Formats: sequence, C-alpha cells, structure tokens
Amino acid sequence: MLSQKNSPLDETQEVERFNIIFRIQHIVMFTTFLLLAFTGWGLKYAELKDVSSWWIRIWGGPKVAGIIHRVAGVTMILDFIFHVLYLGYLLLTGKMKIRKETTVIPLPKDVVDVVHNFLYFLGISKTKPKFGRFTYAQKFDYWAVFWGMFVIGLSGLCLAFPIQASYFVPSWATGWFWQLVAVMHSDEALLAIVFILFWHFYNEHLKPETFPMSWVWLTGRISLKELKHKHPLEYELMLKEQEGEGK
Amino acid sequence: MRKWLFMLLVVSLFSLPTFSSGDTKATCIVCHNNMVGTIEYQGKQIELNVDGERFEKSVHGFLSCTDCHLRFQENPHQPPSGEVPEELRPIMEKVSLKAKVDPVALVACYNCHQEVYEDVLSSVHGRNITEKQSTDGAFCIDCHGSAHYIVSSEDDASAVSQFKVVETCGNCHGSPELAEKYGIEANVMKSYFESFHGKKHLLGHTKAPTCVNCHGAHAIKTKDDPTSPVFGTNKIKTCGNCHKGANEKFVAAITHQEPGPIPHYAEKGLIILTISVIAFTVTHVLLEAYSDIRDTFFRKKKEVEHAESEELSS
Repeated sequence: MLSQKNSPLDETQEVERFNIIFRIQHIVMFTTFLLLAFTGWGLKYAELKDVSSWWIRIWGGPKVAGIIHRVAGVTMILDFIFHVLYLGYLLLTGKMKIRKETTVIPLPKDVVDVVHNFLYFLGISKTKPKFGRFTYAQKFDYWAVFWGMFVIGLSGLCLAFPIQASYFVPSWATGWFWQLVAVMHSDEALLAIVFILFWHFYNEHLKPETFPMSWVWLTGRISLKELKHKHPLEYELMLKEQEGEGK
Repeated sequence: MRKWLFMLLVVSLFSLPTFSSGDTKATCIVCHNNMVGTIEYQGKQIELNVDGERFEKSVHGFLSCTDCHLRFQENPHQPPSGEVPEELRPIMEKVSLKAKVDPVALVACYNCHQEVYEDVLSSVHGRNITEKQSTDGAFCIDCHGSAHYIVSSEDDASAVSQFKVVETCGNCHGSPELAEKYGIEANVMKSYFESFHGKKHLLGHTKAPTCVNCHGAHAIKTKDDPTSPVFGTNKIKTCGNCHKGANEKFVAAITHQEPGPIPHYAEKGLIILTISVIAFTVTHVLLEAYSDIRDTFFRKKKEVEHAESEELSS
C-alpha cells in the first residue's frame, strides 16, 4: 500500500468530516444533554436533600429547573428526529452512500476490532486495528444516542406530558406503566451520563493525542495526516477514488 | 389614624390588668412563665411551664387562659373544679384519653373550631379514638402542637406548614408497627419521597403536593372509604385539582404500593445493563489509557508500527 513518501496527497491538507448541518445537530445534542443531565441529576438524587436542593437552586429552583429540563428534552428529541430525516434525505438523493469503510452501521468487523484492540492494549498484538470512517468506539457512541432516545426520550415524553400520554396507555397496563417509565427514564439517564463521562470524554477529550479535545466538532475538518492515522480504511478508500477519477 | 387608635386599643387590652380578658392571662402567666418541670395529677405528668412570649405571638395569643381551661376559677387556682359546659361533655368523654394535660381544654377547641372539630371526629383518626378508645388517632394537638404555640399554617414554623407537614404525618405513618396494626401501606413515606411529588417537595418546590393535598386533612378517611378523596374514581377529581384533564388511566400513576413485577424486573434488567456497559467502558478506557501512556512514553516509533499494520492487512 501507499507509504508516506509516495503519497500523492499533501498530508497537511484538510478534508471535511462533518458538514455544518451535522455540526449544528451535534451542538444542539450536547447542549441539551448537559442541561438535561444537570437539571435531572438533582431530581434523581432529591433524597440528598441539602446538596440537591442547593444544586437545583443554582438552576433557578425546582420550577425553573423543571422547565429547563422539559424544554431541553423536547429540543433534543426534535434534533434527533431532524437527524434521522436528514440522513434519509442524504441517502435518498445519493449524497450519502453506504459503504463498509465509511458507514456508521455496526459490522462484524467491529467485533473483531474490539478484540484486536484489547490485544493491542495488553501488548499481545503489536498493531492497532485499522478503522474506517467510524471506529467501533464512535459507532457505540452514536448508537447509544438511538437507545437513549428510544428509552429515555419516550419515557421522558410520558412523564412530561402524562395526561396526553395516558390516552395511549392501554387500560390493562396502567398498573405498571407509570412506574416502568419512571424507572426507565431515571436508570437509563444515569447510564447515559456515566457512559458519556467515561467513553466520550476519554475518546474525544482525554486521549493524549486528542487532549484537550478533538476540534472536528467545531471546524468539521480533519487533516489527512490525522485521517490516515485514525481512519486508515477511509483514507485508503479516498485515495483509491481519487486515482479512479484521475484515470 | 383609625388604624392607630385600633392598635392602641388592642395593645391596652393586653397590657392593662384591669381589663377582664388580659386579667386572667396576665395573672396566670406571671407564675406559669417561670415554672419549670411537671407535677403528677390523676396519673398524668403535667407540664407547668407556659412560655408567655410565644403564647402571645401564637394565633391564640388573644385568648384568655380560662377560655379553654374552663374549669379553673380562682387565682391562684385549686385543682380544676368548675363545671364543664353541657354541650362539651359528651365529646369530652370520648376524647379525653388524648389530652396531655387538660381534657377540658382539648374539647374547648370545639367552641371556636366547630366545623373542623366535627370533621376530625368523623375522620378515621377521630373514629379510632372515639369508637375504639385508642390513643393512636391523631387529634388537634398531635399535628398542630400545643394550643399555646399554634402559629398559622402559612408560617414555616408550623408543624402543618408546607415543608413540615410530611414530617408531622410521618411521626406516626413512618412507623412499621402502626402500619401492621392497622393493615395500611408500610412504605407510604418512602414511596412518597421516591415519587415525583415527594422529590419536588424535597427540593423545595412550594407547589409540590404533600400528604394533605391528596388525602385531605381534618376529615381524612381510609382509602377504602367511599368518601375518601383517594377512593377509586374520586382520584380523578382529586388529581384533577392540579392536573387538568386527569382521567382514570392517568391517576394510576401515583400510588404508595410497591412496584409490581414488571417495573421491578425491568429495573433489575436495566441495572444489569447499566453495570455491564459501565464495566465494559471503564475497562476499555482504563486499558486504552494504559496503552496510550505506554505508547507516548515508551514506544516512540509510531511510523514503524503503522508500516507493520499495513503489512498485516495487505
């Protein structure tokens, strides 16, 4: 394969990884996520009366914190719906194609990559797995949002608009439905927060090569050097396509 | 100006010993304000101290001692000897076991608070006292404290104020023995504080419902009593006070009952999922951090590695 010497591309050149529409979606997502986590945390641990009521007062007291939580929640759901519609639009118009090197859809190779990466961490393998446009870590991050939207988003809507939700609850389910959604919302929110804290923060902020953060969320651009290093399969596919165009 | 004149009148009523109302009070307080300790009378330990200053500030500060302590006549007084008014006697017979000090004073509440008093007598609390002659039912002073120091329920210091009333009910309803004795839900306090109502209450939400918003206060009934606000479909109206449009499926959301098997096992499943995901991510992140540190400080030959990896894949 191509080595650094005979590469036809300038390594410092940048390519677009996320367009402005994706970047805005991400900003809305993490802003609302943080607001939801901060305001929800105080409610989840209300039994720690002194700490939690102090914390909630910072967010304007229980009434204001409740409004912030609901507005942020609805905004996040709308952001998510827009994301799915936008993906649909890109796929239908052919602006985005599903390829094994660039797709965010989990593939069997991701499982192999996980094992391979663990072997590398432990020093058993001398090589790192070669990732495509999205590493398994990023795919995990991405699909976690879908799981969160399904579990936390739907249960959150039921809790925020209980009268409206009650019309959709079958009468044989009322005995357990409300407790179920409360449990789902609270437990999975904790999972989401802890997951983001460990997974996303390490991978996109704390890693020595990334610290203090990956700037791609703001600029949307990634240097070819970084692309080659972090997403070699996508880089190779890009080179192949450019050669194809050259012919 | 008229307001000032009125104030002056009120103040003089309290301060001039020549006026009858101020008279008994001032003369009683002179001694009882300074008295400490208890005496035994008819098998009861009787607290002698009355904090005059707190009494003056209470909602009952305008009353004279003998307005409630009806059987005390002379000054200094002998053991109570006066007549109990006819209309209070049947009530007194039924509720005297709840009196801490003066059973007559406990029924004297009826003179001013007739409607509320009858509500309490008809309530599950009151009927437990009057019919079963049990001391378990809450009566006036059990919730409001001594009549000498009752302040408005709007006042934060009141035992039945927004932020104290739950604790006050919990004095009895937090007891598992009481729950077992009467076959009522044992986890009412726990389930309240775990509910959204209770969580908001803990965080200081001034409109968060407390016990009394759903169950009522003076006329409280068991949940099996058709006149209870939490009996069956009465809940639709009760919940509807705050939740406009409440319906039968909505009102099932708030209950003191333990979660059924579905939420219970769903929670267990979600906890297992959460622990697994956290275990995986934490392990992954720690190992990755270890390898990143190792690569940064001990293996400064990334290019070689990359060449190797490309060989491997090709």
